[in-house]
Amino acid sequence: MKQRALLLTLIVVTAVATLAAQTNNGHPDLSGTWLFSIDLPPIALKRTTSGGATTVKGIDASGRRPAAAAVAGALPFTAAPAYKPEFRAKVKDLFDHESRTDPVFYCGRPGVPRIGSPRRIIQLPNEFVFLYEDISGDPYRIIPADGRPHKKDGNPSHYGDSVAHWDGKTLVVDVVNFVDDTWFGEDGFFHSDAMHVTERFWRDGANLVYQVTVEDPKVLTAPWTMAPRVVKPSTDPLEESPKCVEADSKLLVNDDHHGQR
Amino acid sequence: MGSPVKRALLGALVLVAAIPASAHHSTTAEFDVAHRMTLSGTLTKVDWVNPHIVVFIEAMGAEGAGNVAWKFESNPPAWFRRVGVSRADFAKAVGQTVTVEGNRAKDGSRYGYLVKFTYADGTSLELVAPGSDR
Repeated sequence: MKQRALLLTLIVVTAVATLAAQTNNGHPDLSGTWLFSIDLPPIALKRTTSGGATTVKGIDASGRRPAAAAVAGALPFTAAPAYKPEFRAKVKDLFDHESRTDPVFYCGRPGVPRIGSPRRIIQLPNEFVFLYEDISGDPYRIIPADGRPHKKDGNPSHYGDSVAHWDGKTLVVDVVNFVDDTWFGEDGFFHSDAMHVTERFWRDGANLVYQVTVEDPKVLTAPWTMAPRVVKPSTDPLEESPKCVEADSKLLVNDDHHGQR
Repeated sequence: MGSPVKRALLGALVLVAAIPASAHHSTTAEFDVAHRMTLSGTLTKVDWVNPHIVVFIEAMGAEGAGNVAWKFESNPPAWFRRVGVSRADFAKAVGQTVTVEGNRAKDGSRYGYLVKFTYADGTSLELVAPGSDR
């Protein structure tokens, strides 16, 4: 009886290990649930009981912020993109009036890359599924990684058309075919329909690293690579985001910035 | 994305000086952050929506004026979830007298940004700057 149990355990362990190896095809495992990377207020909550005892709980917004320290494998990056001279006034104007001009403030979809890294990655042998939680809704992306080219007949979209390949231990996701009504950064960073985004994902110990390069030859003088984000694993399961109902725009009395990133 | 350090620092300064910044439109473009108002009344409804949750309060008006309806928005549902507060934590107080503190809309409407919510039994939830427990 003991021998049969041992044999059964061996078979199960072998099957699981084989499945895991097949799933990753020998590549790093990026699958899992990851810390949120959307913009949330960097505020804490203080609870006070009727007896006066208090507890304070904050949020960990590290997945949205530029990495605090140098990250192994990261590309060189700069703080801001370089726009062609004829577009710099437009960027400034959008930024100066962001409370009125930022599509995200009006429940607009952030698109790629502004949405940040996925909340969940499902890694299949030749395909990735990225799941997100966002204030505007919860998009998903199904990304082939079997060598196929971009779709020839796809409609432009906020999250674009993606294909992926491995470059060593880095997953490179190539994204094209965007609509032109999103910003790729909060500071009025508009783009054209020619935007081409390259997302890079790799593991740094238990963490996921995410770094983005934006190219747009119509409006930028050169590709822009952003600072990497180090995203921690999360035990917080995904939850459907409530509907977005914009109610503040009619109450704006000036063009102050929201002062938060 | 695109988060220059100076912006983070600016955000931190705003936090210290005023109420928590919104993830949405500018807080100071909409609310009088220099003054905190307090209002007691009956919680009538909770909207658990993005980009801000909203609580509805029926407050006693001036003598003979009847009840006056107020709305207070606050942080996004995703923020509340991450600090361990669900819709039910507010909804359980519907029909009860609660006290809210917040910053009124600059346009004078009966609308505000909720900073503190106190239940009838004296327990409370309050938005504070990070590190307030240190």
